[in-house]
Amino acid sequence: MIATAVGNYPKIPTPPGEPKLRRAIARFERGEISEEDLRRVEDEVTEEVLAEEVKAGLDLLTDGQIRWEDGQTYFARRLDGFSIDGLIRYFDTNTYYRQPVVEGRIRWREPIGLRDYKFAQTRGERPVKPVITGPYTLARLSQNPGEQSFADLVMDLAAALNQEALSLEEADPPWIQFDEPAILRHKEDFPLFAEAMEALTSGLKPKTSLYTWFGDIEGIYPQLFSLPFDLFGLDLVRGRKSLELIEEVPEGKGLGLGIVDARNTKLEEERDLVDLIKRMARLVPPEGLHINPSCGLEYLPREIAYQKLVLVAKATRRAEEVIK
Amino acid sequence: MILPTTTVGSFPKPTYLLKARSRYARGELGKEDLLALERRATQEVIRLQEEVGLDILVDGEMYRGDMVTFFAENMEGFRISGLVRSYGNRYYRKPIVVGRVKRSKPITISYFSFAQGLTSKPVKGMLTGPYTMAEWSFNEYYGSKEELVLDLAQAIRVEAVELERVGAKWIQIDEPAVSTRPEEIDLAIKALGVVTADLQVKTVTHICYGEFERIYPKLLELPVDQIDLEMANSNYDLLELFRRHRFTKEIGLGVIDVHNHLIETKEEVKRGIKRALEVLSPQQITVDPDCGLKTRTWEESKAKLQVMVEATREVREELAGA
Ligand SMILES: [Zn+2]
Repeated sequence: MIATAVGNYPKIPTPPGEPKLRRAIARFERGEISEEDLRRVEDEVTEEVLAEEVKAGLDLLTDGQIRWEDGQTYFARRLDGFSIDGLIRYFDTNTYYRQPVVEGRIRWREPIGLRDYKFAQTRGERPVKPVITGPYTLARLSQNPGEQSFADLVMDLAAALNQEALSLEEADPPWIQFDEPAILRHKEDFPLFAEAMEALTSGLKPKTSLYTWFGDIEGIYPQLFSLPFDLFGLDLVRGRKSLELIEEVPEGKGLGLGIVDARNTKLEEERDLVDLIKRMARLVPPEGLHINPSCGLEYLPREIAYQKLVLVAKATRRAEEVIK
Repeated sequence: MILPTTTVGSFPKPTYLLKARSRYARGELGKEDLLALERRATQEVIRLQEEVGLDILVDGEMYRGDMVTFFAENMEGFRISGLVRSYGNRYYRKPIVVGRVKRSKPITISYFSFAQGLTSKPVKGMLTGPYTMAEWSFNEYYGSKEELVLDLAQAIRVEAVELERVGAKWIQIDEPAVSTRPEEIDLAIKALGVVTADLQVKTVTHICYGEFERIYPKLLELPVDQIDLEMANSNYDLLELFRRHRFTKEIGLGVIDVHNHLIETKEEVKRGIKRALEVLSPQQITVDPDCGLKTRTWEESKAKLQVMVEATREVREELAGA
């Protein structure tokens, strides 16, 4: 079993910890430091996050997405065809992101995450997985005022992000994770989604995972599991219903169990987490299970986010023992 | 008078107050010193609103950081967390429910009374609603969200009744989170009903963002006199919904986009109000910006409000002449 994170991580610690990145961004915006200086601070904070993940006991790391403004902008501002607009609420949370606006045909121009991934890979003491926001979610969270249909936009994005994923192969990642929370809000779009997922993963050699959160998979189970991914990440906190729903997982396919609530400070009981893992281990052999928080941990205070990762790692190790 | 003008609640904090707040947070400034500066800023906000010619005023929320955290800090049952990102490079201390929620002392009363004492125009009492308080806090104590929301409703009800007792003629209970979770609107309605049950004065709730198509016309069941909605930001799309199903309450009509630096033109605002008048009666409408002005500068806020008041006055005159 693999203890892992889903993606983002708090960018600054709780006082009296030093909010390095926050300060650097503010100084950069005031023109007091150069872009290079800011990048250096981002690198430092990324190293800290990787070290925290290792210390917490994770087997498979992410870079914490310290450089990401949010899941959308990081990609949209480096793809042809997007501009970035005003603040908008991220799903039903009390956080906001800047909404990308489609202004023309979307095209991949150059590697977006490769440099950052390579950095994390060389600094992380354990394997690191790159994360890509999926085409369906990126399309849903963008504004598309022009003539192009939503379906065409999704497919253009799928082609562009497929190139992005292919460009990561150079660094030989063990896994590539794609995030698609939006499909759970628009399950009626599954046929389009499935088509996009085919295009997205076309020709990819590394193992791939598809992560969803903020809901259950009722209505798209069992079709979801026939999509061309090696592993499916499920939010079993907000989407607890999926637990009862899933009776079977096709052979060779794995699950990412989001069992620790990434949106609440309350710390789960390790025993309950182990029970959940045991239950799902009846459907998937241990080597096919990734154990992780329900989604990215960025919107928790840093010290709680760390404790949540510790819980994930502890429950994973304990479950391994019990199942053996 | 028809088409009274107001604002949604927050105003930008002057630089001296922002500085004072961070010094206070670092323990370098005393509570009394901070309060003095909050009062100075409140005076400036009241003066600005009178100069611009608004009809129903607000205190500008100079004493608040976050709309949920402020109330949580002043109630029993909450602890305040470490820093959590809200957007961009902004962070706030999100509340954590760690015990039974109760109002054990006045929360906004002295701020309201101070502001109302500065003007002869009505100042709105401003509260954050129980559903939003629950939705935007971490919950480590209650087994169900409903229990938490209903305890919060009791706490806020006591504060609302007290505001009425000290002279508030308008009480606004903000519930921006209501539109983000359509499946829970019944709980929000029930909770707001607890807050407003004993109030005689005019009650308003402000709601923003979200998927209104999914909560309309259900939204009209919210137990308040007026529902305040953002319209300018979405190019008045909601009017289409009202055309299909009549809007039966009073409305706070948001005609100023608060997320944009650009100052609206008077013609633009007049056009917006007139479009609204195609599906709403003049008696139903209070004119205001889409949302709080705290993310705008002082100058932008003033300029936007001037345009709004001027446009409203002209529409009023045109209606009277017609
Ligand atoms: Zn608002």
